[in-house]
Amino acid sequence: MKQNGFNPFEMAQAQFDKAAQLIGLDDGTRELLREPLREYHFTIPIRMDDGHIKVFKGFRVQHNDARGPAKGGIRFHPQETIDTVRALAMWMTWKCSVVDIPLGGGKGGVICDPHNLSPREQEQICRGWVRQISRNVGPVLDVPAPDVMTNSQHMLWMLDEFETIHGGRYPGFITGKPVGMGGSLGRTEATGFGLVFHLREALNDLGLKPKGTTAAIQGFGNVAQHAIRLFQDLGGTVVSVSCWNQSESLAYTFRKKDGISLDELLSITDSFGGIDKEKARELNYEVLPGENWIEQEVDILIPAALENQISRENVDRISQQVKVIAEGANGPTTPDADERIRNRNIFLIPDFLANAGGVTCSYFEQVQSNNNYYWEKDEVLGKLDLKMTSAYIAVSELCRKNRLYMRDAAYIIAIKRVAQAVRDRGWA
Amino acid sequence: MTDQASPIDIILNDLLERSKELNTIYHVEEIIGEAANLELPQVFNKIIEILPHGWQFPEICQARIIFMDEVFEPEGFVPSSICLQSPIQIEEKPIGMVEVYYTREIPNLDGDYFLKEEKKLIDTIADRIGETIFHRKLKEMAHEWDHAKQRLHEKEKREWRVILDLLERTDQKLFILISRKMLYQLFWKGINEAKEIMATFFEDQKHSDPSITEDVNRPSQKQSLEKILASSREVFQIASNYMSDADISTRIQKWIQEDKASFVFKVLVNSDAPLAEAIDAITRYRYITSGKDNPYIPVGKGVRVALIRRFLSDHLDYINVAKEYIDIHDFFQLIETVIYPSGSFGHLGGKSSGLFLAEKILKKEFAGTPLADNLRVPKTWYITADAIGSFITYNNMEEITEQKYKDMDQIRLEYPNIIQLFKNAIFPPDIIKGLSLALDDLGDSPLIVRSSSLLEDRMGTAFSGKYKSLFLANQGSKVERLNALMDAVAEVYASVFSPDPIEYRIERNLLDFNEEMGIMIQQVVGIKIGKYFFPPYAGVAFSNNEFRWSTRIKREDGLIRLVLGLGTRAVDRLSDDYPVLISPGRPNLRANVTPEEIKRYSPKKIDLINLETNTFQSQEINSLFREIGSQFPALHNYVSIIQDDHVFQPTGFDIDAQSREMVVSFEGLATRTGFIKQIGKILKTLQDRMGTPVDIEFASDGRHLYLLQCRPQSSNPENIASPIPRDIPLDRIIFNARKYISNGRVPDITHIVYIDPDAYQNLSDSNQMLEVGKAVSKLNKILPKRQFILMGPGRWGSRGDIKLGVSVSYSDFNNTAVLIEVARKKGNYVPELSFGTHFFQDLVESSIRYLPLYPDDPEITFNEDFLLGSPNVFAEMVPEFAHLSEVIRVIDLPGSTAAMNLRILMNADIGEAVGFLTAPGVKTTDSQPSNREVSPHSSDDHWQWRLRMAEAIASHLEADRFGVQAIYLFGSSKNATAGPGSDIDLLIHFGGDDEQKKLLQEWLSGWSVCLAELNLFRTGFRTDGLLDVHYVTDEDIQKRTSYSVKIGAVTDAARSLPLTKGKSTRKPK
Repeated sequence: MKQNGFNPFEMAQAQFDKAAQLIGLDDGTRELLREPLREYHFTIPIRMDDGHIKVFKGFRVQHNDARGPAKGGIRFHPQETIDTVRALAMWMTWKCSVVDIPLGGGKGGVICDPHNLSPREQEQICRGWVRQISRNVGPVLDVPAPDVMTNSQHMLWMLDEFETIHGGRYPGFITGKPVGMGGSLGRTEATGFGLVFHLREALNDLGLKPKGTTAAIQGFGNVAQHAIRLFQDLGGTVVSVSCWNQSESLAYTFRKKDGISLDELLSITDSFGGIDKEKARELNYEVLPGENWIEQEVDILIPAALENQISRENVDRISQQVKVIAEGANGPTTPDADERIRNRNIFLIPDFLANAGGVTCSYFEQVQSNNNYYWEKDEVLGKLDLKMTSAYIAVSELCRKNRLYMRDAAYIIAIKRVAQAVRDRGWA
Repeated sequence: MTDQASPIDIILNDLLERSKELNTIYHVEEIIGEAANLELPQVFNKIIEILPHGWQFPEICQARIIFMDEVFEPEGFVPSSICLQSPIQIEEKPIGMVEVYYTREIPNLDGDYFLKEEKKLIDTIADRIGETIFHRKLKEMAHEWDHAKQRLHEKEKREWRVILDLLERTDQKLFILISRKMLYQLFWKGINEAKEIMATFFEDQKHSDPSITEDVNRPSQKQSLEKILASSREVFQIASNYMSDADISTRIQKWIQEDKASFVFKVLVNSDAPLAEAIDAITRYRYITSGKDNPYIPVGKGVRVALIRRFLSDHLDYINVAKEYIDIHDFFQLIETVIYPSGSFGHLGGKSSGLFLAEKILKKEFAGTPLADNLRVPKTWYITADAIGSFITYNNMEEITEQKYKDMDQIRLEYPNIIQLFKNAIFPPDIIKGLSLALDDLGDSPLIVRSSSLLEDRMGTAFSGKYKSLFLANQGSKVERLNALMDAVAEVYASVFSPDPIEYRIERNLLDFNEEMGIMIQQVVGIKIGKYFFPPYAGVAFSNNEFRWSTRIKREDGLIRLVLGLGTRAVDRLSDDYPVLISPGRPNLRANVTPEEIKRYSPKKIDLINLETNTFQSQEINSLFREIGSQFPALHNYVSIIQDDHVFQPTGFDIDAQSREMVVSFEGLATRTGFIKQIGKILKTLQDRMGTPVDIEFASDGRHLYLLQCRPQSSNPENIASPIPRDIPLDRIIFNARKYISNGRVPDITHIVYIDPDAYQNLSDSNQMLEVGKAVSKLNKILPKRQFILMGPGRWGSRGDIKLGVSVSYSDFNNTAVLIEVARKKGNYVPELSFGTHFFQDLVESSIRYLPLYPDDPEITFNEDFLLGSPNVFAEMVPEFAHLSEVIRVIDLPGSTAAMNLRILMNADIGEAVGFLTAPGVKTTDSQPSNREVSPHSSDDHWQWRLRMAEAIASHLEADRFGVQAIYLFGSSKNATAGPGSDIDLLIHFGGDDEQKKLLQEWLSGWSVCLAELNLFRTGFRTDGLLDVHYVTDEDIQKRTSYSVKIGAVTDAARSLPLTKGKSTRKPK
């Protein structure tokens, strides 16, 4: 299918090419790394609830597994394009590499819309997918995880099918399982905590400690909440939080100059992270327009909501006091804004690195599952701390040594590690 | 009596006469008293002896009694012309006469020989005699019956002969009747002898029937009677030759019984008979047919129809169905729970009728299945529809019926007073008594008082929600409860005169219909938990699903809207909450699939009754769970737990009601109980039997399912299929569709936002694609609410792959009227559309329509030239995204195509939809007034009035004096979106000095205050001032700063108002 217009895979390749150029990779390695190693395309016949047979298309792209078994999500989407999947698989390789976990990158899915499928039919599709690809996935080959429109129930069905085929219990085959059924503790906190671990190290680099610093956060979902918790535990002060008000379709910023109380705000939050405006006022929070989050006079800005939140329009409103921006969301900064931030010498921890806590915890789940031994939460979070810190240090050293911007440095380190592995194995 | 007699004498005389009469009566009584032992002739003789003593002149007085054909008179009787008579009657049929004669001439008073009292006396005596005779007859009959019964026991054969015998002797009329019926039977069977007798029968009939002839004293009639009786006997003789004994017996029994009940039917069929009589008749019928000895008397269809017509409805559609399911014994219970004023005729109104019929249908169809045990209707008491009339008359409030003819403004203003008036009025005592009885019967559980108007049962009119329903906690002393109930009923009555339904009726030409309102007082279904009372779950269900979230769901699969607590949250569209949607035909396909969707679109609030404060309230479900969650029965059936992204159903033992991870999903109820199947069956059955799709309200107390209401689904304006006109010129059609259509009508679209699918695909940069979403969001804020549509490539709100559709969330397009997805073929492959699944429930609750278009299908029109060729005003509206003009096209319809609007009509019955250009507000062949959808948005009144006021201001404005160059109207008054409290936004192009400005401001503020007063009068809304004035100068206009941008803007431009006094202000729009 020839496609005009925006091609995500080509874009990912272009990104890679630029970095490869910088590193000075040889042609052979470059060529190997810019394409996926293996792609599987297959059909899954399903008997629908009313008896008729429908055939679904499934696939799995394993971009590179030189560093370890491929890792990546399975998505259900009605019109997945293979280029998107290839791009995402490549992205996973870099992501695993930048936090230095021994895993490669992969992605896959089934072309379907769960909204049009009964639970039974979805189960059939999950099992069908595993049946088709069971020889090429597994704890030592390729470890899937949940993604768009898949969740832990699908993971469990797939695990069950895999174990039936292979005759045994292999919880390490797949991640994203619920706690008690092979999932790891600490998963909910992982991304948020991971962010703060990076932040702590970044502050350290700047000669600061969390205690005595202030932060403004955009978003009040899972990542933001846990980030706030840890940051405050470390002594930091969160001055404002902004979130989306469902009924008014507007965002608001809630500010308390001497520090918000997380528990207080949680008690007046609904299940989507929306804070009740009136009750906040009663608790003496200032209620400001949503976009004011960016102009707060704080040391740290944490965008942890949606993409493209810091753009050309508002990047100049960032206060002179801000020293660090930690990207909790995916792609919160647009390229032009990126430029301006760089020029202003604000230290930026790229999303790529900053929100890698999630994938790291996924790796931990795999490890615990393979051992059939599950750690307590503090052990998980302790190991997370270690991993994040080392990852950060590696990147920041590269930054310093080669005078690179953090975002570029992270990307380069990721590619370098994979290139090294590929070479070590004698592939290129 | 001489005139000189003193008053004392006169009185004494009178007293003497009086005592004579009394004596006579006394004696007659005595005789009758002994009469038990005497034969009738002896009795009569005795009576005629003493009678004369009661008259003025006993010595010349003689009495005579004629009984049947015998005459009893004293010896030497001489009839004379001076005679006083009184007939002796048995069951109102004369069988004799009592006569008193004077043998000689006597003085008379005013031509009258007899005193008034004497006339009375003789009547009394005749009555007594009649009664006595009747009494004897009865005794005889009883005796005979006993005899007969005995003989029956002894003789089994030919028992019917015995019965007939008896009948012949005791009740000849009945005997003749039965033999006539038998004759007809034989005749119909074609038996020849019967034909012969038939002739004679009819001949003699004329002469023989004693009740026909007036004059009793004809000996000749005895003969005809004999003849008839003989013929009758002959009939049975013949019958015994052709029919079996058993057959004859049963028939005779049947006819005897039917005769017993015939009076009932006579009353019931008479529609003029007042309700009290009808109820009486039914009660008597019930009494007759109760008891094991008395066999059931079948009731003919005619009577059933009459009953239905009286109590329930006189619509032929309804009666057609009802007569198959409703029988007289269904009314036994009903009549015990009806409250009516004296003289009432009995109609109960639409809601009551619908529910009554539905219950009967379901009971019959499900008899014997477990469903029958489970399904119930809550205890209900009814007040007839004409009680409101009696209420009004009792309080002398007759002028109130003129209310509906008044001006709408007046109605609106006066309504609150009417409510107060009604609440302070008194109920007629028979109604109060009825209400008191009702309260005793219903107990002290919460009640709901619902309107049940006569108009509500007309097909095609939707009065849902227009009249009030009120909840009563019904706690406290009897007096308190009764007062609360009366209060509630009065308030519901008052709602007949509320502006909304009156307006509705005016629109449909129903104003003159005599709107009578019945009341249903129903027990609220629910259980008591803590201080709250509510049903664990309730909702509404529809036979036809007009909101399908997947192509695999068909219209006939139906729809259930489920909520926790009182069903009020499912009935109405909620702005801030969502019911759980399930389609009974496809229970496995849920609207919400991913954990976020399940969480987001789950109910957050619950309606319930607080028994402590005696109020109806809405509460957050989370806080309710925290308070009483542990006492909530079967909670595990109603909730799911979401931990991270794992959704599962709790097992029920150890639910932590405090947990924040609980969402209401009804998963357990849907998958592990028979509830869905049950509702599905109910909907199907009712639809089949009633011949029309229905919508029902139901509630459950955890054990039983209760049906609360049932009405035709077409009564809901949203569900009316718009007729598709066939004569639209082809160049006016913008698009049409043939697949996956729901009913609806969107009349006046002024803007089309079209995202060209090809251009969108060709965007090379994901950022640009994201920007399209942002641009749409901006447009959403600028364009007039609900007057634009969004058309774009499939899968609005696409997540994951932005190529497939524009990335938007619900808040980015929530002001659109219709969301349209266009699916163009790519080679052999047609993309799958989303059907709005990502925000499906938001679309449903805000009534945003969804339409999928497949332009490449055969017979489909898709006027792409129009969409791509029309002038595109996007860049001017949202200049910061002007670079996307090739992708996003905004067409301003009134501006570009000579003042035409887009109208979209959708008809699911025939599966067609069309969008075409038409002049605004013009009704083409498509609409009849009675089906017109009532717009849920602000009535046109408000903006039109404001426009007129603005024009008035402009015309009064002395432009020169105040230095005004031009005056413009903008904002909601110009956009036709003004509500009752909206400002009038004026823009004044000012070119004068400060002095003039001050004067102008004062002048305008005067206007502002006056208009605010007027508005208060019109709408009840209080504001400080109705004008919002902005000033711009030449400089502003040049620089295009501030509000000056509105002048001459591309779209939504301010409207220039004509000034008088020569200033030409026409600026091009």
